[in-house]
Amino acid sequence: MTGTRRWAGVSFLSPSLLLVAVVLYAPFLWTVYLSFTDYDGLRSPTFVGFDNYIRFLEDPALATSVRNTLMWAVGITVLPVAFGLLIAVLSYGLKGGTFYRLPFLLPYALSGAGLAVIWGFILQSGGAANDILGTDISLLQEAPWNTLSLIVAMTWQQAGVNALLFLVGLQSIPKEVAEAAKLDGAGSWGMFRKITWPLLAPLTTVVVGLSLVASLKTFDIVWISTQGGPGRSSETLAVTMYRDAFVAAEFGYGAAVAFSLTIVTGLVSFIYMRRQVRAVS
Amino acid sequence: MNAVRVLTAVCAAVVLALAGCGSGGETGTEKKTHLKLYNDKGAWAQYFKSVGELSQKEIGLSMEPVGYTDEPTYEAFIKASFRTNVKPDLFTWTTGQRMAEIVKEGHIADTTDLWNEAIKNGDLTENLKPYYTIDGKQYCVPLNIAYWVMFYNKKVFDANGLRPPTSWAEFMAAADTLKSKGITPFYHTSVLFSFVWFQQLLVGSDPDLYQRLSEGKAKYTDPGVVKVMELWKSMIDKGYFTDPGDKTEPAAGLKSGKVAMGNWGTWFNTSLTQAGMKPGEDYGMFFIPNENPKGGKTSLLFESGPLCSLDKAPDREASMKYLKWWVGPVAQDKWANSRGDVSGNPKVAIPDPGLQAVTKQAGSNDYALYNRYFEATPAPILTAALDAFGAFVVKPADYRKQLETIQKAADDYWSKKK
Repeated sequence: MTGTRRWAGVSFLSPSLLLVAVVLYAPFLWTVYLSFTDYDGLRSPTFVGFDNYIRFLEDPALATSVRNTLMWAVGITVLPVAFGLLIAVLSYGLKGGTFYRLPFLLPYALSGAGLAVIWGFILQSGGAANDILGTDISLLQEAPWNTLSLIVAMTWQQAGVNALLFLVGLQSIPKEVAEAAKLDGAGSWGMFRKITWPLLAPLTTVVVGLSLVASLKTFDIVWISTQGGPGRSSETLAVTMYRDAFVAAEFGYGAAVAFSLTIVTGLVSFIYMRRQVRAVS
Repeated sequence: MNAVRVLTAVCAAVVLALAGCGSGGETGTEKKTHLKLYNDKGAWAQYFKSVGELSQKEIGLSMEPVGYTDEPTYEAFIKASFRTNVKPDLFTWTTGQRMAEIVKEGHIADTTDLWNEAIKNGDLTENLKPYYTIDGKQYCVPLNIAYWVMFYNKKVFDANGLRPPTSWAEFMAAADTLKSKGITPFYHTSVLFSFVWFQQLLVGSDPDLYQRLSEGKAKYTDPGVVKVMELWKSMIDKGYFTDPGDKTEPAAGLKSGKVAMGNWGTWFNTSLTQAGMKPGEDYGMFFIPNENPKGGKTSLLFESGPLCSLDKAPDREASMKYLKWWVGPVAQDKWANSRGDVSGNPKVAIPDPGLQAVTKQAGSNDYALYNRYFEATPAPILTAALDAFGAFVVKPADYRKQLETIQKAADDYWSKKK
């Protein structure tokens, strides 16, 4: 490619590149810059060095926020993935399998806000959940019950779509392998352990990876149902970021939380994907 | 040929970029006949629209509401508009510290002349003026005013031989009676309106402390504040309040009679009528007596939301013309009575006898007005306080810890202001 042709190519690409730069890179860099400033949205940002990060690390609410985010990370990478796998494996190849899977898929049509509102009513004091369990626990009012019960709500929504992804994986397993295993006398559990699970590994990596990233940025369901409360007890890092930036109008501090969250999410995803991809290959 | 191709591509990119970054026109030079009123009161869209239609007939300026329902998003949008060309013609805000900070940055149009004229011709009153005065000048005009009263289910009161109390002792006796009959006396929440009982108990026991607290001259850990939290806790312990985790709409709770009373601004009238309750027949309202009657006047919490024009509004003249019309009796009659609320314009006749009585009482010499806690408290302290009160209503025993948390936020805020 001649130099002129290369430049022509770059120039034709430049509107798209510019768009990506303006819409994605510029806000990110602006957020990083703001995280080193004191900024209330009115006066010009004042450079304060690492003050926001130090304050964030010293904030007593940080421990709660990290604890809850970890609960979400573990909960959402285990429960909806396990239930999704279970639904997919049990219904795969079954006559009328689609019919059995359909109810699990329907909740996925709900928005995060819709999910929060519906489960808010189920989990409220005197709500359906307490009626069924025969308990009188303020599920959304007391930690850690508020976070745990919202993880259950999210599992209800996410299991179906994970099942669908696993189903695609199951369909891609060569029939010959399964038949050969059967001929060798493998039972259902042996088939799953020795054939299905190992061959589903690449897909499981993706499903768990996506769930992990989604869980680390959990916001809508918590904000709508508890607003991170009572008393910040159900806050996740994403909720902390929103609260500090927009509710308390401390945009510099909120930006520091946002950038920290980005680093954590990026790092965790990178480590996980790298390890899993190595293991699979 | 290649050079031409490169040049074409570069030009296309630059043109597209410039088009994308193009401004919405020069601020302050447009002549408008249609104004957009940005507000955080999305649920009031129909009432704004009806006033907008009326203004078109009256002054040739139509108005369309742009409503937000999420307050933080709205606030961030308005602040961002100060630095961009997407500027609201008119917008709602809050009085107190939040208004002072945007005024001090020079973003808001001075309405001193408008106030002087409106007070002279009786459209606004002197007692509202302090809430709109910053460094001796007035800014914005009242969008709405509301007094914080106790709404009560009249049928429940009648069935239990109760009448609106005139003293704290009577008030507590009424709560005891209701409790003994299996009716929860008061509504309670851990979200947003978690501050309501704190402000009421504090302003009713030590209004001076309430004022000083909002100005950073007193501490949340002071004995007077601790005493208020202990009083609030004792009321919770006695079972006077609904479960804060119950998501039943407060209007529905009051209508069902399961809860007898709820402390709200007079705007709650709209929610009750929308829930199908009849004023005076199904529900009534009274001013909460002072916990400490020392000093004579009953403390009355009051809120007034401002309607503002930017100093650099797209058409400043049109925006100011609208504000002037807004405070007048025609606009106020439509605005207040369509919502079933009180008006800042004393000329407006209120057909609802309950609201009429409230307005008359509030204007009498027996009551002293205090700005609502939500407006009186700076944002970072308020955010910490709402969280802390939310935690307190769930675990009242932790009240000292919660007060310390709020005081830490207050120390951080006020230290930056010194």
